[in-house]
Amino acid sequence: MASDLKVVGTTARQGVRDRSRSRTLLRPPSFEMRMMAPALLVLAALSLLPFLTLIYMSFSEVKLLGGLRFEPVGLENWQRLFTDPDVRASWVVSLIYLALTLGLEMLGGVLVALVLYRITRGRGLVFALVLLPMFLAPIIVGLLGRFMTDYTIGLYAWVLRGLGFESDVLGEGTTAMIAVVAMDAWQWTPLVVLITLAGLTAVPPPLFEAAAVDGAGYWQTLRSVVFPTIKGVLLVALLVRAMDAVRFFDIITITTNGGPADATKIIPIRLYETAFRFREIGYASVIGLVMLLFSIILANVFVGVLGRKGLTK
Amino acid sequence: MSETPTTLGGRSPVARVLTWVLVAIILAWTVIPLGWMLLSSVKPESAIKTATPTLVFTPTLENYARLFGAGNDITPFAVNSVIATVTATALALALGTIAGYGLAHWRGRGRKHLAFWIISTRMAPIAAVILPLFIIFRHLGLLDSVAGLILAYLSFSLPFAIWLMSAFFADVPRSIEEAALVSGASRWQAFWHVVLPTVKPGLVTTGVLCAVFSWNDYAFASSFAGPASQTLPMAAGRLITQGGVDWGQLTALGVVVTLPMIVAGLAVRRWLVTGLTLGAVTAE
Repeated sequence: MASDLKVVGTTARQGVRDRSRSRTLLRPPSFEMRMMAPALLVLAALSLLPFLTLIYMSFSEVKLLGGLRFEPVGLENWQRLFTDPDVRASWVVSLIYLALTLGLEMLGGVLVALVLYRITRGRGLVFALVLLPMFLAPIIVGLLGRFMTDYTIGLYAWVLRGLGFESDVLGEGTTAMIAVVAMDAWQWTPLVVLITLAGLTAVPPPLFEAAAVDGAGYWQTLRSVVFPTIKGVLLVALLVRAMDAVRFFDIITITTNGGPADATKIIPIRLYETAFRFREIGYASVIGLVMLLFSIILANVFVGVLGRKGLTK
Repeated sequence: MSETPTTLGGRSPVARVLTWVLVAIILAWTVIPLGWMLLSSVKPESAIKTATPTLVFTPTLENYARLFGAGNDITPFAVNSVIATVTATALALALGTIAGYGLAHWRGRGRKHLAFWIISTRMAPIAAVILPLFIIFRHLGLLDSVAGLILAYLSFSLPFAIWLMSAFFADVPRSIEEAALVSGASRWQAFWHVVLPTVKPGLVTTGVLCAVFSWNDYAFASSFAGPASQTLPMAAGRLITQGGVDWGQLTALGVVVTLPMIVAGLAVRRWLVTGLTLGAVTAE
């Protein structure tokens, strides 16, 4: 593989290159529109309709029993959001969970990439093995985590006992949080490794030689040569991970389901239980809309990063 | 990957040994849970339920046999999983490829807003999507149907396919298309016969990633599916009962669910970076 890497924006390519010559040839704009129409119609049905439904539900009380009914309640659900200590607590748990998983995955991913970058023999095999966790269903990752930390028969529980750690990992708030963060990190650190390695291969080797000639040490080379080159790529990695971390909640669902004592009750779990256990669908819609806002802000930053040209060359 | 030996970190024996020690630690952390899952899936129950981990045992395929045994046969689950995954992926790929081409070359006003709407649809939190879809599906009688699952999977696969294919199309030089147009091909013919064949890796990568995310879904399936439309990940979730867990069966199921995705995922390894960063990073 050649080692040229680009961080490119699909939105940034405003066709400056081909505007001059191709205008006469390729400019019935309707063709592009016609190509997009079928997918956009389906997408509108699948996204706008649920979105409007969600907004409508947030101003209603939704009754499921005896036929679907919406009873308008005005701003009641919204007012409740701002005075609900439980939801606030869940947001705090969510932000802690996000900070821990993203921090661990970014740091671990970069360190692992730097190590793998040094391998020459057996690189392909090592690399393939490191990628494997990404392809597991999150639900299987959670179940496997439960199996490994099972108090009576778990391999990791046995290792921890050997190290003098006696209690049930998923049975206490702090250790349960550490465990679900570790599971998420186990599954998704490889993604950061993958992206970082792509960035590292883009550093031109002459730069290393120049740094070596200048007598720069390992850390200095990292700081002044490597990091500036891969900065943009790392930002992309962080954003992609952040957007997905907000989306998924399978691992926690199957391991702790938010427990013990709400220690791992991130927002999606709270929303799910509000809607499907307590049947407060109108209120759950408000929680959902706030989540949606959060992810839209993230997506906005992502598109902004893409639109800035010249992240790396 | 470039084949040039790197000088980052030096070539001293100490640095080399340290590198391999670290590689060993990284591999242990990554592979032990997977190896343990595989190993446990061929263990008899007596070898699983031990306080001290068992490494010596007589391998058995009994756990796999019981997955297809009477009472909890996973075959219908597997059929539902395959139908939902394949259909949703095929639809997303067909519609998304055509639209991706349109998005890559459309220069109209509002392009930015359109691109942003597509990406934010892909990034919408699953829990927030489940809620209105549940109500809509209930109203339309789509709960507990594979059709409902297909629609749910399309809700994230389709925007993903549009966006990613547009990134692949944007990298195709316009000149080859222009050559076809000059020689009298229609826009559609130029797209179909000239441009499309050049993005084969993009098609395969997009298809694989859509399939992986659909196949691995648990949240949608556990909310919408019922007795008639359960999928393999749901079967795994249901093996957890109050009465205890049959870990032998569960690890066997884990292997069954995971293996096809690993094979598919590694097949498109070269383009994984592009795919998983939605075209933001390309390394080739």
